[in-house]
This record gives sequence, structure tokens and C-alpha cells, in this order.
Amino acid sequence: MIPFASLERWSLAGRISAALLGGYGLAYGFTAFFSVYLPLARPDRVVVASLSCFAVWVAAAVYAFAARSAGRAWLVLGGLALVLGLAGFLSGEWRTRP
Amino acid sequence: MTLRQSMAGLHTWGGLLPSWLLFVILFAGTLACFDKELERWMRPALHEPVAGSMTADDVSAWLRANVHETLHAYWMHGPTERAPYWKLGWEEDASEVRGKAAFDPRTGEPMPETVGGDFFFTLHYNLQAGTPGMYIVGLAGMFMLVALVSGTIVHRRLFKDFFTLRPQANGQRAWLDAHNLFGVIGLPFHLVLAYTGVAVFVSFYMPAGAKVAYGGDPLAFFHEVQGGYHRNELDRPAEPPVPLSGLLADARQRWGGAELGWIVVEHPSDASAVVSVRRFDPSRIGAPQDALSYDATTGELLHQQQAPAGYRAYTWLAGLHMAQFGGQLVRILYGLLGLAGCAMLVAGTGVWLRKREARDGRGVALVRGLNGAVFFGLPIACLALLWANRLLPETLSARGAAEGWAFSLGWMAVALLALGWRRTPARLTRTLLALSALLALGLPVLNGLTMPDGHLPASLARGDLALAGVDLVLLAVGALCAWRAWRRKPEPRDASLPTEAGVRTPELSR
Repeated sequence: MIPFASLERWSLAGRISAALLGGYGLAYGFTAFFSVYLPLARPDRVVVASLSCFAVWVAAAVYAFAARSAGRAWLVLGGLALVLGLAGFLSGEWRTRP
Repeated sequence: MTLRQSMAGLHTWGGLLPSWLLFVILFAGTLACFDKELERWMRPALHEPVAGSMTADDVSAWLRANVHETLHAYWMHGPTERAPYWKLGWEEDASEVRGKAAFDPRTGEPMPETVGGDFFFTLHYNLQAGTPGMYIVGLAGMFMLVALVSGTIVHRRLFKDFFTLRPQANGQRAWLDAHNLFGVIGLPFHLVLAYTGVAVFVSFYMPAGAKVAYGGDPLAFFHEVQGGYHRNELDRPAEPPVPLSGLLADARQRWGGAELGWIVVEHPSDASAVVSVRRFDPSRIGAPQDALSYDATTGELLHQQQAPAGYRAYTWLAGLHMAQFGGQLVRILYGLLGLAGCAMLVAGTGVWLRKREARDGRGVALVRGLNGAVFFGLPIACLALLWANRLLPETLSARGAAEGWAFSLGWMAVALLALGWRRTPARLTRTLLALSALLALGLPVLNGLTMPDGHLPASLARGDLALAGVDLVLLAVGALCAWRAWRRKPEPRDASLPTEAGVRTPELSR
């Protein structure tokens, strides 16, 4: 098994950065989204979403290396992070409801 | 490339690179399970148990008499079974300088300074490097989670290999068996501890929730999430406070005679001064979140904390990590599983090395040097710290810092030796094992010579297993190291080391 030797260097760098930055970005977007949309009181929404975010990051890091290509990993993780983050932060007054 | 192949690459490199940092975190965390026992060992005044007569009011009287700056807050904790003394901490208002003291239960005076068992706890969660250290530890925790998950995916026969150990097999196979054994034994524990570990500082690592749902107002966030109480300064000087003992008696009565934990006094010189009292309940995993807040001047009960369900879930997770519940048996179990984690890391780098040594792979000498520098360096540094604790005169100023220097210099000496001797690993291992044995076996002897109440026969005669345990573990570790050093052949043909040509070969690392 020669896992990385066959990969191009830039592809490897792409996967590593997708796992670190894309993964954190997705965890951030995930937390923002569920801190707003979970059907719970505000402090509980925030705590449940925040405590789950590390599992999301781990899954994202594993996915970044399992994905068909680095570009695909970045597309999926970055796209999801963007959608979730925007939906969370652009929810107006509703996001600070008690 | 299959999933297992890509996960193997992730596990190999994502596991190797942070393994020395993770060893520091896991080893320090294992010692921190017994921080209070080590603290008692490191403070001779606490060796013989005495029922002190000090009260919370004595502690704040000492503070008023000895610290004259305006205080932002001070906090104290009374004697418990594991930590039988009053401890005090304070923060000055303008400079934010912090101080602390621990009081001798016999005299009521501060004990000689020591970093104490707290040193290992701090090393565990921030590497003694403040806020940046806390973020580094968090990232290492994420690497550990990813390595555990990818390692489980890589593993073909998780259950079958659990019963396989072939120490006499060829090097790589034996190291892999050991890595699997310790990894699988500890897997549920390591997953839970790594997850709850990063979760403890979740509000630092993941600020998105506070930002989106509280508009980034940290005070509003903490009040609502913790259900806590805070009163802003009124900028008027405080009236004389009511005695703390009355407030503590009231708190004890409200909680049906419960033990009390931390007592916090916020801005004591301002008219808005508040005394908060927490409950101490080691029978529960999550610390109870029902603190009582009193007006420091009138003694009126202002607020009882009512933490929302989410926050109680968080404290349960944090409590699961901190192992302050359930008594010594739980801590011993945590300690053993923590050691299994350390063994998993050591064996993991062993697999990496054996796989590449045969082919003169790149980085072999570096990994060997780092192994010696960290896997021996940290334990030897901890022993050096305990030696310094016994040998430094009690009257020395900045005694805690001197202990810290002993730790750092001890570690640096081992690291230099390990890097210098990285091409003769057998000699290095043998020397460091012998050194560890000498330091570990010497400590109980030194203890016997210098500590009339704290040496092993005295503590065993009292049935004081918490204190005797430190010496007993040192003896066991020392004996184990001595035996391994003895059994090791002086310098076998371990010369399959990378030659100059081997290092320079522009072969891709495999």
C-alpha cells in the first residue's frame, strides 16, 4: 500500500487544507445554522449545535481524504459551509429569538 | 484508491505528526488524574493529616492583611478529603495580576511555594503556554479524533486482532500488535476523552453559536447559557462585609448539609460586591450548577443559578473528562487507560519506524530522536520536578519557578542527548531507562531521608494509601525501568541506520 506516493503534491495539499480549513469552515457553518434553526430555547440550541460541531469536523476531515479528488472535497465542504453559514447569519431577527 | 488505502495514508501521517504532542497531552493528563495526591506529596505540611481550624473568614482576613491592591475578585476552596487545606486565588483590578496561596492547616500561614500537582493539569490543557497553548491542544485533540476514526476504518479485524500479541514476532508485527492492542482496549475511552476534551473549551474553539444567536455579546451569552449571576460595579466603596461563615452556613442549610466548593467574591471593595458559593458533590459526574449568590454587605440572597439543560449537558461532558467523580477507583481506571493511550502512541511510532528502518527510509533518525526526546524526556522531566520539589530549600523565593526550571532543563538535557545519540538507539534507550530507574527509585529513598511524616513506612503505617501510592508507583516504575535496562543487550547490531547515501537518496517517502 503506497497511499500518498501516487498523489500529486498539490492534490495532497488540497486535501490537507480541505480537511483543516474546509472542515473547520463546515463545522462553523453547521454551528451557526443549528444555533438558529434547532427547535429549542436559545441557550440549548447554541450548546447542542456547538457541542456537535467537532463530530462534523472529524467527518469532514475523513471525507477530505476519501473524496474522489481534492477539488471535489473543497467544493462539497466549502459549498456546504457557505450555504449553512449564510442561512444561519442571514436569518434576521429570528436568529436572536429567545 | 480504496477508502481503506486513503484512510491508511491519513492514519499514518495524521497520526505520526502530532504523536509527540499528543504524548505530552496524554501523559500529563494521566498524571493530572492524581493531581491532588501529587499536590499532597509535594507539600510536606500536608503529609500528616490534621483537622485544621481555619475558616473562610480567616482566609479573607489574611488576604486583607497581605494584599493591599484593589481586587477584581478572589476565590477560595475549603479542605476536602483529597485536598485537606484552604486554597486562595485573587486577581488585582487594574493590572489583572493574579496571585495564589495555599494554607498550612496547622498554622494558618501560607505553605512554601510549589507548582504542585496543578502543574501537570496545566501542562495537559495548555502546555503551560496560555491561550495559544490551549488552541494547540485543541487542534491536537482533533488530530487524535481523526486518527482514531481513520485507524478504526483501516483496521481489518478489529475484534480478532484484539486477542493477538506476538512480542517475539519480527519488529514491525510486534509493534503493530501492541499498537492495536492498546488502541482497541482504549478505543471507547480515547474517543470519549478526546471528544469531551475538545468540548471543554468549545466556547473558545467554536464561537459561531454565540456570534449568531447572541450577536457576539459574550456577557449575554454566558449569562443566559450558564444561568449565572453578575452585578456590575457601582463605583462606590463597599460597606464592611458580613462574615462569610454566616453565608456559608446558609448555603449549607439550603443544600441539606452538602459540602461546599468554590467561594467567589467579586469586586470586594465596591458596594456591588457579590459572594457566590458553589456546591461540591463528587458523587455526580457533572458538577452541580446551582450556585448561590449573596450580597456581600447585607448577606441577602440575590440569586440561585438555574442552568439550562444544555449547559448541564455540557458540564456532564466536562465532568466525564475531569474524573472528579466516583472516587479513586475511577481515577485509577482513567490513569490506566491514559497509559494505554500513551502506549498506543509509542507503539504507533514504533510501527512507522520498523517499516522504514529496513529500507533506510527518510526521517528515521529524526523520528528516533524525537521518540527519545519526548517519550523519555517528559517522564524524566517530571521526575526532575519531583526531585527539585524535595531538594529546593523551603525559604527560596520564586520556588515554584525554580521547580519549573528543573522540569525544563531536565527535559532539554534528555532531548539533546536523544538527538545526539539518535544513531545509536540501543545505547540511548538503555541509558535513559537506567536514568529513569535511578531517578524514580531514588525519590522514595530521598523522601525517607527528608520527610519524617511523609516517607513510605510512615504513610503505610497510617493506612494513608493516597500518599503512599505516589512512592509505591515510583518504586514500581523504577523497578520496571531497571529491569528493562538490565535485560537490554548493550549494543546489538542495531546498526541498520540510514547511511549518508540513504538519507540523500531522492526516493519518495513511502
